[in-house]
Amino acid sequence: MSMASTLSVNIQKRIGRQRLRKFFLGSIPFLILITVWHLNEVFNWLEPVFIPKVSEVWEAFFILQEDCEGFSAAIALDQSCMMSTHILSSVGRVLLASIIGLPAGIALGIFAGMSRPISKVLEPIGIFANSISGIAWIPLAIVWFGVGWMTTLFIMLNTIFWLMFFNAMMGVRSIARVYEQSVLTMGGSRWDVITNVYLPGAMPSIISGMRMSMGFGWRALIAAEMIGGDSGLGFMIFSSASEFKIEEVFLGVIIISLIFLATDRYCLIPLEKWTVHRWGLVWKPH
Amino acid sequence: MPAKLVIQDLTHHYPDEYTGESVHALEKINLKVEEGELVTVVGPSGCGKSTLLNILAGLLPYREGLVTVDGVKIEGPGSDRGVVFQEHAILPWRSVSKNIGHGLELRGAPVEERKQKVAAFIKLVGLEGFEDKYPHELSGGMKQRCAVARTLCADPVVMLMDEPFAAVDAQTRITLQEELNRIAIATKKTIIFITHAVDEAAFLGDRCFVFSARPGRLKAIVDINIAREKRIWSEMNVDKEFLSSRDEILRLVREEVNVAIEE
Amino acid sequence: MLLSRNNLNRFLAFWRHFSGANAIHLVLVIFGILLVWTLISHALENPDRYLPSPIAVALSSFDMVYEGLLPSYFGDTIGRLIVGSIFGLALGIPFGLILGINRTVADMFYPMMNFFQSISGIAIFPIVVVWFGNSDKTIFIVILYTSFFPIAFTVLSGVREIPMKYIHAVRTLGGSRFQIIRDVLLPGSLPHIATGSRLSIGFAWRAVIAGEMLAGREGLGWMIFTAQDVDRTSEVILGMLLIGLSWIILDHYLLRPFEADTIERWGLVQR
Repeated sequence: MSMASTLSVNIQKRIGRQRLRKFFLGSIPFLILITVWHLNEVFNWLEPVFIPKVSEVWEAFFILQEDCEGFSAAIALDQSCMMSTHILSSVGRVLLASIIGLPAGIALGIFAGMSRPISKVLEPIGIFANSISGIAWIPLAIVWFGVGWMTTLFIMLNTIFWLMFFNAMMGVRSIARVYEQSVLTMGGSRWDVITNVYLPGAMPSIISGMRMSMGFGWRALIAAEMIGGDSGLGFMIFSSASEFKIEEVFLGVIIISLIFLATDRYCLIPLEKWTVHRWGLVWKPH
Repeated sequence: MPAKLVIQDLTHHYPDEYTGESVHALEKINLKVEEGELVTVVGPSGCGKSTLLNILAGLLPYREGLVTVDGVKIEGPGSDRGVVFQEHAILPWRSVSKNIGHGLELRGAPVEERKQKVAAFIKLVGLEGFEDKYPHELSGGMKQRCAVARTLCADPVVMLMDEPFAAVDAQTRITLQEELNRIAIATKKTIIFITHAVDEAAFLGDRCFVFSARPGRLKAIVDINIAREKRIWSEMNVDKEFLSSRDEILRLVREEVNVAIEE
Repeated sequence: MLLSRNNLNRFLAFWRHFSGANAIHLVLVIFGILLVWTLISHALENPDRYLPSPIAVALSSFDMVYEGLLPSYFGDTIGRLIVGSIFGLALGIPFGLILGINRTVADMFYPMMNFFQSISGIAIFPIVVVWFGNSDKTIFIVILYTSFFPIAFTVLSGVREIPMKYIHAVRTLGGSRFQIIRDVLLPGSLPHIATGSRLSIGFAWRAVIAGEMLAGREGLGWMIFTAQDVDRTSEVILGMLLIGLSWIILDHYLLRPFEADTIERWGLVQR
């Protein structure tokens, strides 16, 4: 057996045939896309004003970061480190909004879901708050907080909070009574019921809420940065577009997508596997 | 020695969920359960068996009558009464051993004690090797075994069982019944077992309380004088005492079912 | 279609729903919110700028209706939503079906779809603006882009979820591949098509609002954005309320019933 085929067999054994097949098949459209993009440079089907060169997009990253004076300046969100500042301020807002919004929304949602009368009163509020999507709050947020950090943070927080609140509340309501009763008959307190039944029982709904929070929240954040922000990836692509620096726009869009994919892949999916899948809970949307 | 569990003049009404009309579920129930006894409660569906169990468990507040365990009035749920529910009520987000040790955990028992007891009860119900599995990975019979072990491990004074084997298949049910009998011998627990299956009631009970159709009254008490050690299905199927008790219970229940139909 | 018996029944149920105890609940909730809102508004130093009272908002709505602006903005926004999402669905449904039916095609395009989906319509907005300028075409493309992915993904998973036994059943009856697609996969995925449509239109709705703000085309989104620019906060809040209300009405009384109907009639509910 030749070297190459031994190697191929080993790789197949290691990674698995199916996954390999998926990987290769999945990369075909990307390769075609990049090839066509490259060909565009050669044949000039579309003006470079509309479609930047692949190399330009790559270089834009370093050009934006050119004036940066080292690591500490990047961390301090210095204006000279444009690329890292935009990325960090977007990610920072997502993190900050999640740190505040997720626990607050989940906790209040659980407390609201525990009591039927209270949750009945709060349900229409939740529906209404969620239906005024995060984006529609942008103008009012600008009135309240002016253009900048507070506005963008508020939009993200607002979106996350209501989604989590509503999902946690509905999740608690959907738990079979018998679990609560079983903990009570074993001598558990109200608090035991919250930690042992409501929180894990509402987990499928909470996680789907987190998914929605990230989906809607990111979109709202990008829009908020475009309209009422002075930093962040949304701000970057919007202002670059108005200066017709299309390569920077492409770069920003690709980075947004990658960050979003990474949060889903490395935060939400593992969390879902670790809880909902392990416990064999199937979430039926209401 | 006074009885373990005493019910005096228990009467209960509750409003219907849909129509809001008052439903008369229980009427003047008087009964006593002695320590170490396994009593079964049978009756036609809707005779208030589940209402009775919920009252005993403390999940349903009652106004008329008195229910005491060891002379103490029942007010709300407590760890002196353990319940095995009809549906699978073991928590899906806890592994088998964590479920079984849950009662001790809620009580704040030390980890060492918990480990020992959990291991003992896992052995008792024959769930060795499944300690770290989650409920959805178990069969229906194993889930109920786990539920029984969970209740036993919390060491209640009285164990309440609400049609626990109704949702498992016939073969498994027979095994579970024999196992419960074995557990009753081993632990000498006071058990109140609610069922609608006459065979089950006769097989498991030292005494069998037959309830009438709604409103539920205590219609008759059937004594089944068979030693626990002798209770195995292969022998019971030909045992005269068993068959006559069973037929007696069956006759009593039939009467009630017919009454319910005529109404 | 709209006045079928099912719809009539639903209307009656809705009526009963809101004329019973729930109506009292709802009225109390709304009243409570209005009260808190009024109190906060009165406590502020400059309520006209930061939080005009409900009465001020109501008055501004009379003004705008009188001038004929509000109905026209409303019509513009809804029109964009309908046109954009119809095209999005028309593209997304067949795409999802093809991917669902053929595993190789699905394995090929799934990662790319995932990538583009995660970009989100709002993020491609600046690119589209460079291409087409601040025009209706830009908003249209953004809506189409936004509504395409949710429906395509839902239909794809819908086809995958159809129990194999139905396919086996038709196969043992001597069905061809085409017949399986026609008799099992298509009708079987209808409930998911309904669910996905609702999801898509929900995303599209947000995209319309954002698109109008960014591209500066007349509509509800544009209304709240420009009102903020000239400090007419009462109009901003009015616009927000309208956006929220119209989505609730659209979702709860048109899309959800449609979804529930389809699932009820065609649902292969097997759990």
